[in-house]
Amino acid sequence: MKLFSFLMGLSLTVLSFVPQATLAAQEIKPFVRGSYQQIVAARQGKPFILNFWSLSCGYCRVELGMLKKLTRKYPNLDLALVSTDTLEEENQVSAALAKYSLGKAEAWVFADSYTERLRFEVDKTWQGELPRTYFFSAKGEVTAVSGKVAQKEVEQWIKEQYSSR
Amino acid sequence: MKKVLLALFLIANGLGQALAEAQPAPKQPHDMAKMWQTSLARQPLAATATFDAKGRLWLASAKDGHVMVSHSDDQGKTFSEPVIVNPETEFVAADGENRPKILVAGNGNIYVSYTRSMETPFSGNVRFSRSVDGGKSFSAPITVNDNLEAFTHRFEAMGLNKRGQIYIAWLDKRAASEANKKGEKYSGIAIFYAVSDDEGKSFKANLKAVDHTCECCRVAMAIDTDDYPVVIWRHIFDSNVRDHALVKLDGKMKPVRLSHENWNIAACPHHGPSISIASDGVYHATWFSNAPERHGLFYANSSDQGKTFSSPLNFGNFEAQPAHPFVLSLGKRVYLAWKEFDGESTGIFGMISSDSGKSWSAPKKLAATADVSDSPMLLGDSNRVYLSWNTLKEGYRLIEFSGENK
Repeated sequence: MKLFSFLMGLSLTVLSFVPQATLAAQEIKPFVRGSYQQIVAARQGKPFILNFWSLSCGYCRVELGMLKKLTRKYPNLDLALVSTDTLEEENQVSAALAKYSLGKAEAWVFADSYTERLRFEVDKTWQGELPRTYFFSAKGEVTAVSGKVAQKEVEQWIKEQYSSR
Repeated sequence: MKKVLLALFLIANGLGQALAEAQPAPKQPHDMAKMWQTSLARQPLAATATFDAKGRLWLASAKDGHVMVSHSDDQGKTFSEPVIVNPETEFVAADGENRPKILVAGNGNIYVSYTRSMETPFSGNVRFSRSVDGGKSFSAPITVNDNLEAFTHRFEAMGLNKRGQIYIAWLDKRAASEANKKGEKYSGIAIFYAVSDDEGKSFKANLKAVDHTCECCRVAMAIDTDDYPVVIWRHIFDSNVRDHALVKLDGKMKPVRLSHENWNIAACPHHGPSISIASDGVYHATWFSNAPERHGLFYANSSDQGKTFSSPLNFGNFEAQPAHPFVLSLGKRVYLAWKEFDGESTGIFGMISSDSGKSWSAPKKLAATADVSDSPMLLGDSNRVYLSWNTLKEGYRLIEFSGENK
């Protein structure tokens, strides 16, 4: 396991030297009704982080920078990123993710302008403030945090969730 | 475990934020053409309405890079051909918390303000235009902020007092930028304001009202009975507590804290407050918070010019995304309107108080839509109150806010 992590880390380091254009070709999936359920269903019994962000959110960029560090340090961290921008901004979303070397994370972009409906499926008590991050434990416990999360606490969560695996 | 983790996050957030602010915001100019495309494709729904002294309804909205003004003499059923305010296309901010504003003076002058987004992310300028011929034509827009650096001068609020003075207050990054240049920490940004004493021909030098405001929540303004404007906004207290504050722009009052939910969050909620000052001088305020302990929509009033506020009333269905509350007072009658989403459709709910906000009617659904919509606004016409609401499916609607269910 440790060796695997090390190798993954190494390959990621190598990847980060690849010109950004290669990473920018990342697939951005349209986030519509049912996408949230799809993201969760694909990860039953596995820990993951689901992060909502936007191009127009300054704190989100700071958080993406932190996630970049964490994905390097913990290469097996399962991360799904959902941009609450629009499908028309797909290229900008993709470029931003490439900038933070998050090309490996599963990436989505809101593809329904009726954003209340998309948010409602995720969480009835989320009013759209960003960044919004959901920590799904292997047992299915969900912790929601509005605003930029502290790196130390995310690391603690990652260690707890991934050490037993 | 969940609670402990959350608490840890919240405590640590302050530390993380201090670090975050030590780094300058990433400069990444957008592709202008792409931005335009996206902006135009968005079909902005933000529309602001006001009644003039004769009961004519005036509406300001944004389309294809222009602010448009039209009027209606039949309570919004039909509108005149819109008149373009800014002849050259501009990136008119008209989504989220941004909207063009419109006010009509007693002498018939029409005043329009809006935020022009600029190329650098989060940058913008506060623009102003007026019509002195009853809305037939508008003056070339002027920029009200006297600092033109490529950062935030956005989310303006406009007020007009009985003496005809026009006040505009907005969120401004210049103080934060100056502090950062000196290597000093500065949380949030600031509110600056300017006044026009010549019916909008010009604005005086900008003045700073307050430091350390939240970055992207609309500022709200109301004119007090002494003709000075009162502004409320989401403030940053301590390291990162984003509750609300208030100040009267009389050059004397120190800002006071209005709300105490203790929402510690390293984010901008894009969710600003609303204020109305009654003819008897009572301040009525409403706002949103998503603090873990106290969350949802809140209302409070003050009978001592904002020095102290009543214990906040928590309203709205928190399981239905209650959002963007708006308050309007007409004497002792106070009206609240807000948005909710029930899983399928968006409703505007309203409730009424006839005793200066001491007791309230049950919430009532005033209107609904099954697609994208603007935030609700309330308008008063001598003794009637209307909901002003623009929706993608139904278009602009002015709906009478009936108080019979009290």
